[in-house]
Parts: sequence; C-alpha cells; structure tokens
Amino acid sequence: MERKIERSRVGGLKVLEGGACLVASFPQDEGRLAERVCTPLALNRINLSFFTHMASDREVLCTASRSGEAAFTLLRTQAGSEAAMHLQPGTAILSLYPHDKRPEIIGNFILSLAQSRVMVHGLGSSPAAISVVLPSRKVKAAVNQLFDNFHFPAFSSPQEFFAAQSPPEELLRQVVASYQEKVTKVYWIVPQPDLDLWGLNVSSTDILAGFADALLDLGSLGLQIPFLVALPGLGGKEFLLSFSTYAPQPGGERGPEIRRILKERLPDLRPIRLTPVASISLHGPHFGDRFGIARTLTVALEKAHISLLALSCTISTISLIIRQYQLAAAQLVLVQTFAAPVEVSTPAAAGPGHEYETG
Amino acid sequence: MAGKYVLIVDDDPDLVETVAMMLESKGFEVGKAYDGLEAEAAIKKRCPDVLILDVMMPRKNGYQLCKELKSNKWTQDIPIVMLTAVGDAVPNTIYSHAEGMALEAEDFIPKPVDAATLVEAVQRLI
Repeated sequence: MERKIERSRVGGLKVLEGGACLVASFPQDEGRLAERVCTPLALNRINLSFFTHMASDREVLCTASRSGEAAFTLLRTQAGSEAAMHLQPGTAILSLYPHDKRPEIIGNFILSLAQSRVMVHGLGSSPAAISVVLPSRKVKAAVNQLFDNFHFPAFSSPQEFFAAQSPPEELLRQVVASYQEKVTKVYWIVPQPDLDLWGLNVSSTDILAGFADALLDLGSLGLQIPFLVALPGLGGKEFLLSFSTYAPQPGGERGPEIRRILKERLPDLRPIRLTPVASISLHGPHFGDRFGIARTLTVALEKAHISLLALSCTISTISLIIRQYQLAAAQLVLVQTFAAPVEVSTPAAAGPGHEYETG
Repeated sequence: MAGKYVLIVDDDPDLVETVAMMLESKGFEVGKAYDGLEAEAAIKKRCPDVLILDVMMPRKNGYQLCKELKSNKWTQDIPIVMLTAVGDAVPNTIYSHAEGMALEAEDFIPKPVDAATLVEAVQRLI
C-alpha cells in the first residue's frame, strides 16, 4: 500500500544546470584521493560543483559540461589498470534545503525522486541541503514532484520557481570573485562527534523507494541524519550508501532499532555500522565555484595520516566523516591549513576504540 | 536572550544554518529566509528584534531590502546587521561597497563572521 506523505514546509530549492558527472573507482589506490583525483583536477583549474567520496575508493564528481572530458582524461591518465570510470554528460544538481538533519525530510526528498522516476547519479548532503545529481532532462519532472511533496514559501508553483531562476551567466557574473587568498578562507569549521556511520550496498531499484521508506520510519525515532552520500556502482547494478546518525537525546543505544528498520524496508541487505565516528563541516565562500579547495583539504589530511571514511561537497560546504579518535588531530590540521575560526568540541574518545558491526 | 527573535537572510543555506546554530546556542529564537522577497514576507508575519542580512541575493538583494525597510515608518526601527563579503573578496561585481555603506544599517560585519563578534553585535542592538 502506498504511504501517505505529509507535505512538509521547507525553505527552497537550487538547480545547477550545465554539468557533467564523472563516477570513478580506484580500487588499488585507497588513501590516495588527493594524488589521484583532487590534485590533477585542481592543477587544471577544474571546479567541482559536487563531490562525494567513500573509503571503498569510489568517487562521484560533477563539473561544468565543458570540463567533463578534460576531467575524465586527467583521471584516466592517473589511474591504474584496476580503475573504472564513467562520464555522464548533460547532468544537473538539484538541492533542497533546509533538511534540518531530519530523516523524514531527506526521505521525502528521495521518495520524490523515486516517484518522478529519476535516474540518480549521486546523492550528497551539506549541513543545510540534500542534493542529487540527475540527468538535466529530468529536472522539470523532479521539481514538479517536489512541489507535490513539499511546500516552498517563496514559490507557489514549479512554473513560478523556474521563472525566477537567473540565467547561469548572470549568476556567474554576480558570484565570480577575485579570491586571491594565500590561505583559503573558510567561514566555519564545525565538528560533530558521537555519530554512527552506516554503510549499505543496495540494488539500484531498491535505493529510491526502499531507502526513502526506511528514512521516513527513522524519523519516528527522533534521530538526526547529519550526513548522507550515495554513489552508483559502475556496472549500474548496485548503489553504495553511507549515512551518519546522531541521537540528540541521551540515553540508550539506537543501533538495534535502526538496524531493524533498515531490515524491514530493505530485507536483503546487510548494513555495516561503524561507531563512534565524527563529522567536520568546512563552510566557505563559493566552495563549489572555486577549484583547489578539495585538494587543499585532502592533501592536509593525508599528510597527517587521517583517513577519510566518507566525504560530501555540495552547496558551499565540504563535510567529512572520520573516526572519532582522529577528530582532535583533524581539527588541528584544518585550522593550520585554512584561515578560519573554529568551533571547539570535546571528542569523547581518546583512542582508536571504534567498532564495526555487520548484521 | 530568551524570546528575542533574530531573522537571518542569506541565499547560502549552509551559512544560514550555521549562523542559526550559533545564535540558537545563545538562546535566541531564529527565523530563516533565503532571499529579499522571502524576508519581506517573514517580517510582515513577525517583526524581528534584529535582522541579519546578506548583500548578494536573488530576486531582491540585501541593499535594496535595507533601503526599503529604512524608508518605511513601520520597519525603520528594525536593527539591521549586514553580512558582507563585498569589502575585500568581491570587489568587481555590481555590489558596490560604497553603496552599501551609504545605507543606514546599524552594523556591517565582514565574512567570515566570528561567532563571538556576531552574537555581540546582535546583543548590542537588542
């Protein structure tokens, strides 16, 4: 039976058209994200308007259409024989905000994509937004469906929304700035400790409907989802999903309940849980319009031997997930690498006491 | 600061989220809007004790909104803090820093915004 979804009120939508999407996998090169991916792109001044990474060595990168072929060639040159890559031209990035870390908003967004039969090339999140990379020709259908599932105070209809969009060249004229910083300026570096990281490997057909349903159910637990990425497998037969959960109310282990809900909605999968992990969000001016930010970040972390479990860059933030015992070291590295005020947290774990669970 | 209502207006949702988080942690009640027109509607619904306003926004930019609010007798007393990157990072756009300074906003804070500076500015204006 089809679930009845309440129409949620959210702030708005952003559409970034004219992109190309590159899905890459470097199975022999885990831990060399900076060298294999970020550095060649940065040196060739290729902006990443969307970027996700998982420790299992997979990446989804989006860039302007005109740079897609160049990005593909650069990464292919760097890659070993085990690498696999796929370039998809004619893509767009559609973002909805704010999700307020609420599973039901994120679930409803993903459900809208399923209902509009959109092929998802990747999902990523920022502190405020959830973003999807999709074929440009499906943007209209997806936006129409989002207006059925959400209420946007600034626009009464999809037509009104599209009519208000500035031509891309005008946006560029307003935004492109002469950033000449010697040290990249970041507005905030915000850590969040005490998260669980969940990893799932699901079939493509299940992801949209089944996972959206699971998220809607997770909303009833009062949990937050501060981070989510999804990457397609290169054969088109699977989707890798990674998301973090946070329980704002102390008291009680929520892992078994989360696992039960995932099993109910996606019975064939075996979720992996890693705990405790921490996230760090770096929010900066026009990160998606400036090349080299991801390179600066990944080079600094790799030099400090801090392993990225997952990364998502969309809107104007790069969010990363690391093991909690590395949080203090990572914050120190980032403060030394970027010019930014830092929000201080008190990581609970002092040593590598994380644990993996499968079920 | 319980009960004091601050409206944050910026087209960068991540910036709105982070500033909101900062102010909520200090006990402020926070409203969010993502462009000048949306901010106008939000102000009609509930008059903020302080308005935090970005400059570069679609549909209606921060300078336009500031000008309109300050020339309306019903809204001219709303204290406005303008968040601006115009001064240093974006010198060559349609948003002239001189134009901004000629407005009657109560405070101008350059991005990146230090949390303490922003909270102090808001507290000073309430």
